[in-house]
Amino acid sequence: MLLRTFFLRPVRRRPLRFVTTVVGVAAGIAAVVATISASQAAVASLREGVAEIAGRARLEVTAPAGVPEQLLGRLRPISGDALVVPVIEEIALVPTLGDAVRVLGVDLLVDAQVRTLELSAKDGTPLVVAHRMLTGRGVLVPASLASRLALRAGDELAVSVRARRETLTVAGVFTPTRFASAWDRVLVVDVALAQELFGRQGRIDRIEIVPRSGVDEAGLAAWARRLLPPSVRVEAPAERGAASSRMVRALQFNLTALSGVSLFVGAVLVATTLATSVVQRRTVLAIARSLGSSRRQLALVVLAEALAIGVLGGALGVAGGLFGARAALASVRSTVAAAVRGVPATAIQLSPSLAIVGLLVAVLISLAAAALPLVEAIGTPPVQGLTSERPAFLRRPSRRRAALLAIGLLALAAALARAPAWHDLPVAALLASMALLGALLVSASPVLDALARRTAGPQGGGGAGTPLRLAVAALAAGRRRASWAAGAVGVAVALAVAIGTMVHSFRATVVDWADQGMRADVWVRPLTATTGVQVGRLDPEVVRTAERLFGIQVIDPFHTAEATMRGQPVTLGAGAFAVVARRGGVSFRDGRDSRDVFATALRHHAAVINEPFANRFRVNEGDTIRLRVPGGELVRAVEAVFFDYSHQQGMVVIDRNDFLRIYPDDGPSELALFLPPGADPATARDTLLSALGGRFLVEALLNKELRDEVVRIFDRTFAITRALQAVAVAVAVLAVLTVLFALLGERRRDLALLRAVGGSRAQVAAVVAAQAALLGLTGAVGGLAIGLAIGLVLVKVVNLQSFGWTLRFLPPWSALAATALLVTVACFVAGLAPALAAVRMHPSEDLREEG
Amino acid sequence: MRRGNRLAAIALVLATPAAAGEWAQIVAPLALSFPSYHGSHPSFRTEWWYVTGQLAEPGGRRYGFQLTIFRQGLDPSPPASGSSALRARQVLAGHLAVAEVGHKTMRFAERVRRVAAGLAGASENDLDVFLDDWEMRRLPSGVIALVADDRDSGLTLNLELQPAKPLVLHGEGGVSRKGPEPGNASAYVSFTRLAARGRLSFDGRERAVQGEAWFDHEWGSSQLGGGMMGWDWLGLRLADGRELMLYRLRDATGGAAPESAGTLVAPDGTTRHLVVGEFTLEPLAWWTSPRTGARYPARLRVRVSLAGLDLEVRPEVPDAELDARASTGTVYWEGPVAVTGTATGEGYLELTGYAGEALTRF
Repeated sequence: MLLRTFFLRPVRRRPLRFVTTVVGVAAGIAAVVATISASQAAVASLREGVAEIAGRARLEVTAPAGVPEQLLGRLRPISGDALVVPVIEEIALVPTLGDAVRVLGVDLLVDAQVRTLELSAKDGTPLVVAHRMLTGRGVLVPASLASRLALRAGDELAVSVRARRETLTVAGVFTPTRFASAWDRVLVVDVALAQELFGRQGRIDRIEIVPRSGVDEAGLAAWARRLLPPSVRVEAPAERGAASSRMVRALQFNLTALSGVSLFVGAVLVATTLATSVVQRRTVLAIARSLGSSRRQLALVVLAEALAIGVLGGALGVAGGLFGARAALASVRSTVAAAVRGVPATAIQLSPSLAIVGLLVAVLISLAAAALPLVEAIGTPPVQGLTSERPAFLRRPSRRRAALLAIGLLALAAALARAPAWHDLPVAALLASMALLGALLVSASPVLDALARRTAGPQGGGGAGTPLRLAVAALAAGRRRASWAAGAVGVAVALAVAIGTMVHSFRATVVDWADQGMRADVWVRPLTATTGVQVGRLDPEVVRTAERLFGIQVIDPFHTAEATMRGQPVTLGAGAFAVVARRGGVSFRDGRDSRDVFATALRHHAAVINEPFANRFRVNEGDTIRLRVPGGELVRAVEAVFFDYSHQQGMVVIDRNDFLRIYPDDGPSELALFLPPGADPATARDTLLSALGGRFLVEALLNKELRDEVVRIFDRTFAITRALQAVAVAVAVLAVLTVLFALLGERRRDLALLRAVGGSRAQVAAVVAAQAALLGLTGAVGGLAIGLAIGLVLVKVVNLQSFGWTLRFLPPWSALAATALLVTVACFVAGLAPALAAVRMHPSEDLREEG
Repeated sequence: MRRGNRLAAIALVLATPAAAGEWAQIVAPLALSFPSYHGSHPSFRTEWWYVTGQLAEPGGRRYGFQLTIFRQGLDPSPPASGSSALRARQVLAGHLAVAEVGHKTMRFAERVRRVAAGLAGASENDLDVFLDDWEMRRLPSGVIALVADDRDSGLTLNLELQPAKPLVLHGEGGVSRKGPEPGNASAYVSFTRLAARGRLSFDGRERAVQGEAWFDHEWGSSQLGGGMMGWDWLGLRLADGRELMLYRLRDATGGAAPESAGTLVAPDGTTRHLVVGEFTLEPLAWWTSPRTGARYPARLRVRVSLAGLDLEVRPEVPDAELDARASTGTVYWEGPVAVTGTATGEGYLELTGYAGEALTRF
């Protein structure tokens, strides 16, 4: 009965308010679910891909530059206890797909015991298929890919490997028995063909060890280690997955934290709605109390409303999040693919646990947000409610306490921002951001109060017009709810400003870095996927062709390989120091001229390291580093630290001649061409491309094209961040809308009185609209200040701790001003609807309630 | 020749469609040079080393065992430049089967590997074949050592085989004709009786065993003629010191093809080549596999009139069907048999082409 009266009836009468609240919660939940789903899909595909593609393997033998194939024979003694399987895992590009695929080279004679790939029966028996694969250039294609590219057994499939155009023959189509998504971008070939395709003769990526039944894994690992040289690692496959997912973890954490802030805004919105809904129905609630309803019953009513908002908002949010995740995936995917050598997922699957968590969080937040209104609903004595007095609880001045709390939170934020990273994650810095938002929320009330006193007071408000004074007074009167609303607006603005500042600082830094650092005239690299992710390397023949055409002194091939530093994987890069020493073009942290740095490094066999490496391992100029490389240890002095925004992973760069003494020449990942002054880059590019003929699938970019692309990739990477920013602003506008309707309800009597004493409809409307605009302005100004502070934390602390990148703090001032203005205007526009409602009301009816 | 059809099945599956002419052909007379003769002959497409025998614990259980390593060449042409050393130019497959006669149970394990990277290989100098940790090796003393185990089936076999009689050259000087075409022949030699001693485990517990064994070594490139459905092969060691090897090639009608043949080995090791009219194999009962539905002869009457032999050959373990689809792609029946009649003895029987896959499927 009570429920129908106090909950269902208001919902029916004012569906808009209820709907906006639900949508507000939904937006917050959707942001969280979308971000988590998308980044989870990207990360999970890496981890799951490792697990699934490793099949039943429990141990793996790996080495930095690959495992010599002869080691397979050394493991023959354990073959009674375990299956020993060679594997090559590489990346190739399928031009017809426009995307990268994983190429898995396995021993097809025995691999059925490791991975269960069901072959399509119409392609023949497994042995027939194996025959096509063992002797020719056969490839197994997953069913999903086969149907997408309309491939059947016997068809030819062109792939780009090391920038070479290679033609394979589809030997069969397979259906993975589990985790289809882990396989939908995997081509399976015989390990020998994989060696030939990727120029890995003599080496394999890893040896997988599958224990036979009843074999003790630890004992097996120890036995395998005894049989193998100490330069190789024997470990569980999961450890390899962990190493690659570590790089993605920071990204995932930051995105989740960012979406968590949207949820925070949603929570503020729920609290505002419930508080106003309680206030609006204070009279009715008081009557109910007078008629004998217990406090418990009233509490149930409020909680029921919170629950309804939570459940509905949560469900909508989960659904919307799934939808948003699909859009976000493209952005996350290219970021993740750039971070690790892998092919992230292409499909989103909402995990049931995430759906449940999303729903639960929505409900919990709604219930938590109901706490304050609940206290008000059951704490207000019936008489006070009936006389439309302000509840004492809400009226009690708490300015000083609020101000102290705000100062405390600011101090806390300052302290947290200085704290170091926790397990490589910027937890403290993000807590600092939360403390800053908290400070914003608690200070909204005293600020509004002060504003009210200054404007409405006899001495301060002389200049202000009557509507403004009335508006401020009205806001001050409904201070608690108004401060919630201003807080919600402020949080949203702060979030938008912080993200905007971070993105702009980042972008400006990267553009500068690209301008300074990218001095070569032409860049050559393997054809990239449509995501912009580079696939594989350049065939050494490409380098030789370029050297023949332009001379060795202008060619800078850049190689990369894996190495380990203190047990952690790092990238070892190599360039032609002699060429860069002449031409320069890298920004160093200590500001030295790059020509000088490379010339000195070349003379002393020293290395240069990127900033993420320096930060991660706390290594500085002049220090000595020791890397684990094939065949032993590489010891190098650090000549200088360079800025690098294209790699999150630590990178050490040495001279190419040194590099090729350690690693086999698998071809460089890219090639830079420094032409003599006066030479035309476009002509040089055409010369090179025509010399390479149709044999190689390469892209040759001129200087400006590459720099444009850097910015394009940057923008795509940050698309998801911008989307979150939009969600935050949308939630803020909803907050304003909701609170204004509520404030209007509360101030009906005052407005009616204003009309009764001769106020025109226009004046009443102006009061309401001014209220909205003031609220927006307060929120916008507060949000701007706090947003800049959070932006500073994001730029200077979070980025450094997550990625090891030093960025300059460059707020987009004009855009920020526009945001603040936009939010104020949006609030004003949002206030127009309640203003119109105020115009339409009948003063006599509203005053009659007095009687 | 007997396993020729089964290997032909693999050959049809795995071998390149390259013209058979690229593989070496068996032509009489064989130029035999020892001990490399016992080793691998990679210029031929198919080859196998095949050991069967009966073993017993002292005063305890009786077993039949089979250990076979097949070699299948895939590509006779020399490796192209830049091709991977892991390219599967030859494949080794192994079958290990042990039958426990008392409980009439059979266990089977198989292996398959390309000849590369030291995981599998076969020496060309003498018998020295390895496939994962399975090994078949001729020691300087002339003893043949077998090592094979399989955790999943609980089998281990560790035997030393001492030839009790000289090497037998089947057919004409070791050239065993298999079909009407000039190339339809294989080289086929055997130790028809070896003393076996060693250890065996059937259910996880290793036991000392001893008994007698039979060793076959055969290779060729295109030995089989067309139109064959399968074959019945048996190798019997008679108590009177003789051994008898017979194979009957079955054509589409189930009748014996003219190339069916055999060898009778006298106690002193002298041999007599038997041709198709000189022996008969007649099924007396049938056994149907509950797994594949294949119907195999269960008892055979074997007559070789010129040797005064009228024998009944009875499987010691009825269900000796081996599913080797994961290694050689075949299903066949192979198990120990007991011999009664005008002579007694023991041996091994092999029945192929009954499961409907081997020759018709590919």
